[in-house]
Amino acid sequence: MECYSLLRADVPALIDHLGKFGEVVAPHRKGDVSYSFESVLDSSQVVLDYNRTLLPLKKLFLPPVEKLMDFSLKNMSFDPVELTTQPRVFFGVHSYEMQSILRLDHSMLSGNAESNYFKRRKNSRFVGISFEPDDFHFSESVGIAIEEMEGFDLFLNEIDDDFQLYVLSDNGRSLIQGFKQIRTVEAELSGKREFKKKIRYHYNRLPRIFQYAYKSKVWADVAEKCVGCGACTLTCPTCFCFDVTDEVSVTAEDGLRQRTWDSCMLSTFAEVAGGENFREKTINRTRHRLYRKFKYITDEEGLPWCVGCGRCTAFCPAGISLPDIVNELIQEDEKAQYHHTVRV
Amino acid sequence: MKPQVAFFDFTSCEGCQLNKLNLENDLLDILKHVDIVEFREAMDDKADHYDIAFIEGSISSPSCVERIHDIRRRSDILVALGSCAVNGGINAMKNLHPIDEVRETVYGKDKYLFATLPAMAVSSVVKVDYEVRGCPMNQQDFLKLLIALVLGKQAPKYNSPVCVECKLKENECLYNRGMVCLGPVTRGGCDALCPSFGQFCTGCRGILSNPNLDGMLEIMTNHGISLDEAKKRMLLFNSNEVQL
Repeated sequence: MECYSLLRADVPALIDHLGKFGEVVAPHRKGDVSYSFESVLDSSQVVLDYNRTLLPLKKLFLPPVEKLMDFSLKNMSFDPVELTTQPRVFFGVHSYEMQSILRLDHSMLSGNAESNYFKRRKNSRFVGISFEPDDFHFSESVGIAIEEMEGFDLFLNEIDDDFQLYVLSDNGRSLIQGFKQIRTVEAELSGKREFKKKIRYHYNRLPRIFQYAYKSKVWADVAEKCVGCGACTLTCPTCFCFDVTDEVSVTAEDGLRQRTWDSCMLSTFAEVAGGENFREKTINRTRHRLYRKFKYITDEEGLPWCVGCGRCTAFCPAGISLPDIVNELIQEDEKAQYHHTVRV
Repeated sequence: MKPQVAFFDFTSCEGCQLNKLNLENDLLDILKHVDIVEFREAMDDKADHYDIAFIEGSISSPSCVERIHDIRRRSDILVALGSCAVNGGINAMKNLHPIDEVRETVYGKDKYLFATLPAMAVSSVVKVDYEVRGCPMNQQDFLKLLIALVLGKQAPKYNSPVCVECKLKENECLYNRGMVCLGPVTRGGCDALCPSFGQFCTGCRGILSNPNLDGMLEIMTNHGISLDEAKKRMLLFNSNEVQL
């Protein structure tokens, strides 16, 4: 593997160098204790050690609110937004975040490709960075190591407070062309970082757990604590549901159509004409959320649709933990298996 | 002919009406769509019939009841404007105390001169067709509803929590900043105005339909306030909606 050493102090220079390719987006501080992906204006403001951003990188490919067209009621005409995109480099991306983009690619680009997503996605370069897992990260349990490099063009692995820079694609090579503050070294992949949060089973055993978990008592326990605020799904990097609305201006002559992120945890999500709601109770919605991550899409694609970023848990005001729910389901399943074995 | 529109106030601070007059950039556009035929805070005229009557304030005395019945009889569409009209709002805190005690506190020995009722939502007394929530009512909501009515379209409804808009704006959660916020169970549509400026949500737009209030109380007490305080916060704007 092509590998260079890079001093921590030289990282801002690298970010400036990446700026030659296009807009650089990287994690910044936000509020008291949070982080967010923002455009880099001053490379010294970029944060290299962060746990997770409030919103996932998804927000830059599938914006929270996006105008789709202008329309005129007067002329009975419409004018779709023609999106033009510039090359972008996403710097300081964690491995689970990259994996979430690859999963979104599948969701948005297979079959009829989502054209705005596609336009934003092409001409994107990704520079990964290693991270120290906190109490909420559990990506290892869904098969994503800290040093997982799939999808990245470059990857920064922190070793003894400085970095090793791995070049993973031709695009990555051209990104660092002419950057002088690196020197070739032997690659060493450190394996010292430990995940504190874990799902007890290997992820390929989870579909079977979920196959029998539909009527589990665990869902009612979760629903008792859940207030249905939607924070888990709105911050989830692989959720992609949206709602489309028309807004008429105050002149009543023109308006715009826009799409906004929606969430299956909201009680209105499954409401249909006539006022029927086929997931009216929190217990149905919270179950649906986990089945979307570990069963429905997983059955088709063979991968869990959860990347273990821990956002749904870290940002839940009620402190509901997704890996804990899965572990409880596993425990319940083990009990059922045990009783079954005794009877036979 | 343009729809004839009227505004009325009941028990309230009249802030919602002021909020309409503050729509300075849009007032001329509004007047292209409707004729305002009665609006005590802005003009003297009176009318017999209203296509749309906008009602501000809660119903809290026998004379209020008479007046709202009269207005309803003469209106095709009746809209409740702002917290007080929609669910009783802050006024409804009065309902948490015995009515005699309330009268005595306010009027002293003259309490028998002033008839009073529990503060009620307009919809507790007459049929309400649409509502604009918030304290004060949200200007954009008001405009959207007015345009929808003028165009004969379905009026927009919003029944998602404030958290949704906070997340869409990538606000840092106020719980992470050590505050106790009612956002998770409060009806949004306000563009998360208060949390975006660092003020926790006090629930002015009312509680979501079908809420998990026990869960919400648990969240609040887990974040460092007493159960008593948590209940008080929840009741501030929602005494009529919440049974605790």
